[in-house]
Amino acid sequence: MKLRSLFAGLALAALTSAPVSAQTLRYATIGEPPSLDAQMGTATLASTISQHMFETLYAFDSANAPQPYLATGETMSEDGKVITISLRDGVKFHNGDIMDAGDVAASLNRWAEFGSRGKLLGLVSAEATGDLEVTLTLDAKNGAWKSILAYVNGGPVIYPAEIVTAAGGEPIAAENYVGTGPYKFGELRPNRYVELVRFDDFTPNPGPSDGEAGQRVANFEKLRFIPVPDVGTRVSGIQAGDYDYAEYISGDLYGQVRDDPAIQVKISTAPIFGLMFMNSAAGPLATNTKLRQAIMAALNMEQALQVSVGEPELFEANGAYFPDGNVWHTTAGTEFYSQGDPEKARALAEEAGYDGTPIKLLVSTNYKAHFDDASVFTRQLADAGINVQMVVVDWATLLQLRGQPDQWDMFMTHHGSIPDPVLLTVLNDSYPGWWKSDEKHALMAEFTGTSDLAARQAAWSKLQELIYTQLPVVKVGNIFSYDIASPDLVTPWERAPAFPHFWGASTK
Amino acid sequence: MGRYFLKRTGAAIITLIAASIIIFGFIHLIPGDPVYVMLGDGATPEQVALLRDRLGLDEPLVVQYLIWVGNALQGDLGQSIFFETPVTQVIREGAETSILLATITMIWIVVIGVPIGILSAIRQGSWIDQGLSGLAMLMASVPTFWVGLYLILIFAAGLGWFPSSGYPSIFEEGGLSNLRYLLLPSIALAAPNAALILRLTRASMLDVAREDYVRTARAKGIRPYRVVLRHILRNALLAVVSAFGFTFAALISEAVVTETVFALPGIGRTVVQSIMRRDYPVIQGVILITVCLYLVINLLVDLSYRLLDPRVELE
Repeated sequence: MKLRSLFAGLALAALTSAPVSAQTLRYATIGEPPSLDAQMGTATLASTISQHMFETLYAFDSANAPQPYLATGETMSEDGKVITISLRDGVKFHNGDIMDAGDVAASLNRWAEFGSRGKLLGLVSAEATGDLEVTLTLDAKNGAWKSILAYVNGGPVIYPAEIVTAAGGEPIAAENYVGTGPYKFGELRPNRYVELVRFDDFTPNPGPSDGEAGQRVANFEKLRFIPVPDVGTRVSGIQAGDYDYAEYISGDLYGQVRDDPAIQVKISTAPIFGLMFMNSAAGPLATNTKLRQAIMAALNMEQALQVSVGEPELFEANGAYFPDGNVWHTTAGTEFYSQGDPEKARALAEEAGYDGTPIKLLVSTNYKAHFDDASVFTRQLADAGINVQMVVVDWATLLQLRGQPDQWDMFMTHHGSIPDPVLLTVLNDSYPGWWKSDEKHALMAEFTGTSDLAARQAAWSKLQELIYTQLPVVKVGNIFSYDIASPDLVTPWERAPAFPHFWGASTK
Repeated sequence: MGRYFLKRTGAAIITLIAASIIIFGFIHLIPGDPVYVMLGDGATPEQVALLRDRLGLDEPLVVQYLIWVGNALQGDLGQSIFFETPVTQVIREGAETSILLATITMIWIVVIGVPIGILSAIRQGSWIDQGLSGLAMLMASVPTFWVGLYLILIFAAGLGWFPSSGYPSIFEEGGLSNLRYLLLPSIALAAPNAALILRLTRASMLDVAREDYVRTARAKGIRPYRVVLRHILRNALLAVVSAFGFTFAALISEAVVTETVFALPGIGRTVVQSIMRRDYPVIQGVILITVCLYLVINLLVDLSYRLLDPRVELE
C-alpha cells in the first residue's frame, strides 16, 4: 500500500464520522456464537441469533403459553401418546421450497435422535400422514409436549428434509442454514460478525403478534451480531452510536447507564439463577443427605448475591425455581433456602458424622458470579466448621471435569429461564450430579404423565420440595441481567426476553 | 551470503519442527475438551462421543500430530473446531487487522520514540530530558486497557471523532477510510512501546556519544548536528532496529488487551479465545504462523545490520 494513500485514509478518517446504516441492526455480543444449528446446541447467543432464521411448530406468546406457529392445531389420542399436528400451508423455506409434512417429520426425528434436548419429549417417531399433517408417537404421555416443541434453545426447529437427512448427528454447516424465518443466513466472518439478511419471501403467521407467537415483521434489512468482549466497550459503543444493542452489561455499571440519556436499559424478564450442584454419584456427599442439609443451613444467599451482583435492583434472593407470577411459581420447600445459620449447620454436620474431609468445590473464573458465590460460600461453610476446598479452573476444564464423578463434590454453574420445569437440568438423570432417586422418578412420572395444568403444577410443587429435601442442587438466587440499547431503537418488547428477538423492531 | 542463507534456513527448519512439537504437546496437555465447550450444558455422553469421533480427537496424540504436520506441509492448517471454517480463513481474517494495527503503531513509535529519544540524549540532564524521561515512565507504566478505555470515552463516546470499536476491512465498504478504526487502538498500543524505544534510543545514543571517534569528530570541528546524525545516531540505531523487529512481531501476536478493549478481530484475541474454547487447530495454526513470523523478522533484522553497518559480516 502506498504511504500516501495510507495517510490520505488517515486524514479522511479524522474528518469523517462513521456512516450509520439505519438498515442494519448492530448487536454487540459478549463473544462469538458456536454453531447456529438450533437443534444441536443450547448456547444462549446461538439461540438469540438462530431464532431469526429457524422456526418451531409452536411459539410462546407473551404469557409464556405455547401457541401454534408453523402448526395450525392438533388432535391427541385418548392415552396422550399419539399427537396429530396440522401444518400451515405455503410456508416457504429460504431456498424457495415449500415446507411440507416430510420436512417436519424429518426435522423432528433428527432432533429426537441427536438434538440437545431431543430426549425430553420421548418421541418414538414422527411421520408425515398427509401433505400438511404430521403424526407424533410418544413413548408415554408428556404433559409438557407443546412447551418442548416451542422452545427454540436446543429445540426442534424445522429444516428442509434433505438437509437434516444429510446432516444426521453432525451440526449443519453454515451454507446449509435454511429455515423458514424472517431472516436468512448471510455471512459468518470469524471474530468479526455473523450477519443475517431479511428474507423477502417470508411467509408470516397470520395471527396478531404476541410474544414470539403470531406475525413476525422484519423491518431491518440486516441483523449483524458483532463480538465485543469488553463490557466497557459495549457501553461506549452504544454511547458513540456504533451499536444499536449490547448484551450482558455488568451490575457495577448499572447506576451509570440507568441515568444516561444516550442509553436505553433493558432489564431481562427472565432471571438467570446460579446453581451449586452436589455430587450424588460419588464422594462424601453422595449418600449423606444430612451433610447436604448442613451445607444448605450454612448458606446465606443474600450475602452471596450482594458480592456477586451488588446492585439490589438486579438480584432477588428467592428460592423458588420460577419467579412470582409464573404459572410454575411455588414456594414449596423454600423454607430451607438461605438459612445462614452456622450453628444449625455445625450441629447437622456433627449428626452427619462429618470428619472434616475437604469438600471439593469446582468453580470457573470465566463467570465472575460463580467465583464470587463460591468464595462467599466457602467462607460461610468454614464458619460452620465445614472444610471446603475450591478447585478453580477455566470453564472448558470445568465442563470436562464435572463429567468425572471422582473429581468434585460440588460445582458452580447457572441456569437460564425456562418455560417448563421439565427443562431443568437437575431433573435430567444423566446431567453431572447424577441425581436419581425413587422419590424423584415417581414424581417425574406424575409430572409428565398428565397434560392437565393443575395436576402438573401440583407435581412440580412436590418436586421442588424434594429438591430442597434431597438437595441434589442448591439455588443461589435470581439475577436479572440487563442489556442496553440506543435510544432510537424501538423493540417489540419492553423488558428483554431470554432470547431477544428483533422482528418487529425498528428505529425511531 | 548464499551459505549464510542456507545455514539460517536449516536452523529455521529445526526451530520450526521443535516449535511444532512443543505447540502440539502443550496444547493437548491442557485439561478441557472442545467437545464440551461446543455442545454446552445439555450434551449427552452419546453426543460427546459422536463429535469427538468426527473431529478425530479419539486418535492417539502422535497420530493427530502427524496428520496435522502432513496437512500443514501442504498449506492446510485444518478446520476450526468452533467456527467450522478453515483455520487459514480464521487467520486471514485476523492477520489484516493485526498487521495494519502493528504497522500504524510502529509509525507512531518511530515518529514519537526515536526523535524524542534523540532530543533527550542531546539534552542529557536538562529539564527537557528530565521531563521527557518522566513522560516516558508514565507512558510505560499506565496500562494499555486504561489508556484505551479513556481514548474511547473521550474521542468516541464523548467527542464522536472516531468509532469506538471494531474494524471493517479496508477491502470492504469504506475502503481506506476504515483505517480510522485503528487510530485510537494504535495510540493506546504505541504509548508503552514508544516509551521503551525512546529510552532505548536515548541510552544507546549516550553510549555511542562516549566513543573516541565521536570525540575526534567533535575535535575536528564537524558541526554538532552532523556529529549527532552521522556519527552517533547511525551507530546507535543498531540496537534500536533490532528492538523494532521484535516490537513489530510482538505487536502482531500480543496485542490481545488492545484488541479486546477495541473489539478488533485480530490475531491476539483469536488465539486467546481459541484457548478458552480449546479450538486446537486454530491455536496450533496461529502459533505456527507466529513462529514463522519471528523467524522471518529475525532474519530481516540481521540483514538490516549489514545495511546500517558495513563492518557486520553475515557469517
